[in-house]
Amino acid sequence: MDVAEKAPAEATFEPLLQIEMEMGTFLSNWHHCDQLSTFIARIISHNRTDPVRHSNFFSSALNELLEVSFRGGSPDGQIGCAVYRHGRTERVKLTFPCLSRQRQFFSEAVSNTRREDALARYLDSISTGLTPSRDVVLLDLAINFDAQIRLENSAPPSITLVVDLPLEGIVS
Amino acid sequence: MSTAGLSIPFKAEFDVNSQEFSLSGVVRPRSINEIAGNISMLKAAIDQVRGVLYINVKRLVQMNNTAFHAFARVVLDACQARPDIRFVIVTSSVVGWTTRMFGHLNKIEPQITIEVYDSKFYPGQSFVENTSFIPILRTQTKMTWRHERTILPRHGMRSGITMADICCGIGDFVVLVQKEFQPARIVALDHSKASLAYARDVAAGFGITDIEYTYGDASEMLLEGNQFDFVSCRHSLQIFNQPDALLAELYRICKPGGRVYVTNEKNSHCLGEPRSQSIQWTYNEVAKLFSHFEMDVELGPKSRRYLTDAGFEDIVVESFMVTNLDGDAQDFADVIAAWEDVYAGEMSVKRGDSPEFIQRFRQGFQDHIFAALHPKGYAGWPIWVASGRKPR
Ligand SMILES: C[S@@+](CC[C@H](N)C(=O)[O-])C[C@H]1O[C@@H](n2cnc3c(N)ncnc32)[C@H](O)[C@@H]1O
Repeated sequence: MDVAEKAPAEATFEPLLQIEMEMGTFLSNWHHCDQLSTFIARIISHNRTDPVRHSNFFSSALNELLEVSFRGGSPDGQIGCAVYRHGRTERVKLTFPCLSRQRQFFSEAVSNTRREDALARYLDSISTGLTPSRDVVLLDLAINFDAQIRLENSAPPSITLVVDLPLEGIVS
Repeated sequence: MSTAGLSIPFKAEFDVNSQEFSLSGVVRPRSINEIAGNISMLKAAIDQVRGVLYINVKRLVQMNNTAFHAFARVVLDACQARPDIRFVIVTSSVVGWTTRMFGHLNKIEPQITIEVYDSKFYPGQSFVENTSFIPILRTQTKMTWRHERTILPRHGMRSGITMADICCGIGDFVVLVQKEFQPARIVALDHSKASLAYARDVAAGFGITDIEYTYGDASEMLLEGNQFDFVSCRHSLQIFNQPDALLAELYRICKPGGRVYVTNEKNSHCLGEPRSQSIQWTYNEVAKLFSHFEMDVELGPKSRRYLTDAGFEDIVVESFMVTNLDGDAQDFADVIAAWEDVYAGEMSVKRGDSPEFIQRFRQGFQDHIFAALHPKGYAGWPIWVASGRKPR
């Protein structure tokens, strides 16, 4: 079991919104990432200090997560996206089915975001790679959006990414 | 779920004269093939420029990592191949993540630098975003509201509409509108963080929580087009060095069939009795002083032309005079005193005016106050209201 899962703050996060969709349907159109992130961002930002800009930031971050699940997910099962709030932070829980080698990959990518050399890795990937790897997308969230990312246990074949985004503090 | 009409189309453009390559809108491609044309355009731009290439991302609303990496790759490669050119990436303080994301490129190649364009971008900014204006704005709105409250319905204000107040200042206008007319949605935008903070406090004080105050540049807004029934912009066209550019933005965010409502002054027409000549001299000088800082406080009567040129139809123009007899004469006097502080105490000094000039300049404001408080006096401040409908 993931140690972070027992974090005491967990209980104080209040649910804002939850969306579920057949993974097959989600994967049928790339634009679902953009549409869902725009839509969810607007709804959850309406009572933030600067709703327009909070929504812009949140949509940026959520879109990357959805793109990650689009590229790494497999078509059988459900994708679920839930957003919670605690103080100045939103928590996104994104659950989606993926193959077991992807699970391994994700757990490495997540732990890379917490390593001391995260920025160096991120810069290295911008200066060398032509297209970003999923690894880099998570680093981008950690570096540019101050995200804290972990994996939560969920029943195979699904995985759950838990991403805390302290955007209110960055936006206003 | 429909997001029709919500997304801003992506655009890449290159202007060879200004050596500026700009990206705007939302770009979230699945693969770089989708933006291959834009990538080639950037490469071609790099081949054409000498010295420096500006990459303008002020209005880049969304860009995913796929697109970012693709564009970054081209620029980073060019740094190797073309040590003779510099790259200046122009970001905005409004979309903060672009500044962070593009900022990393400088850590990789010092030839690439980042400029936040709106940290100092319009000539009168230091005066206009100055917090010493805050108390005056509040009294001003209180005085103009007595008139506008009955004028607004003639310009399309009604309950249930969606509205935006652009350059909202301390936001008390929208609070008054909310109480009086109950629009369904209000977005209020300004580029002064201090004013917005004040605005949120004022709204909270009235128990109003659903006004969306947002930080932004009125001439480069992130708001999607065609979404508001009513767009107001009060006393602000007149402080922009390019009022037509601002008006084009107000037009863009307005729904077809909706109305844009602007109020402006003609400062040289402020008046008072007694001592009318001294008052008139000073306000003529106010107009000249503002034009020194590229602001046109004589704009009021020109608003019909501005609205026509911007493409509006069914233009309605009217004017009203705020006077010392409307309500509290002391309020009137307080506003004039505040104008004196900023215009004579700051702007005139900044222009480098002589002490003799400043003394005479101040005298006109003093005389205006004298007229306002005089038992038989009369003091006026004229305002022009104009609105136009965006064609369907
Ligand atoms: C003369 S005040 C008018 C404020 C308010 N509408 C009123 O009537 O009290 C002008 C306002 O425009 C804002 N402003 C100036 N330039 C701006 C820009 N580029 N974008 C957004 N707001 C701007 C200033 O911060 C200021 O609050």
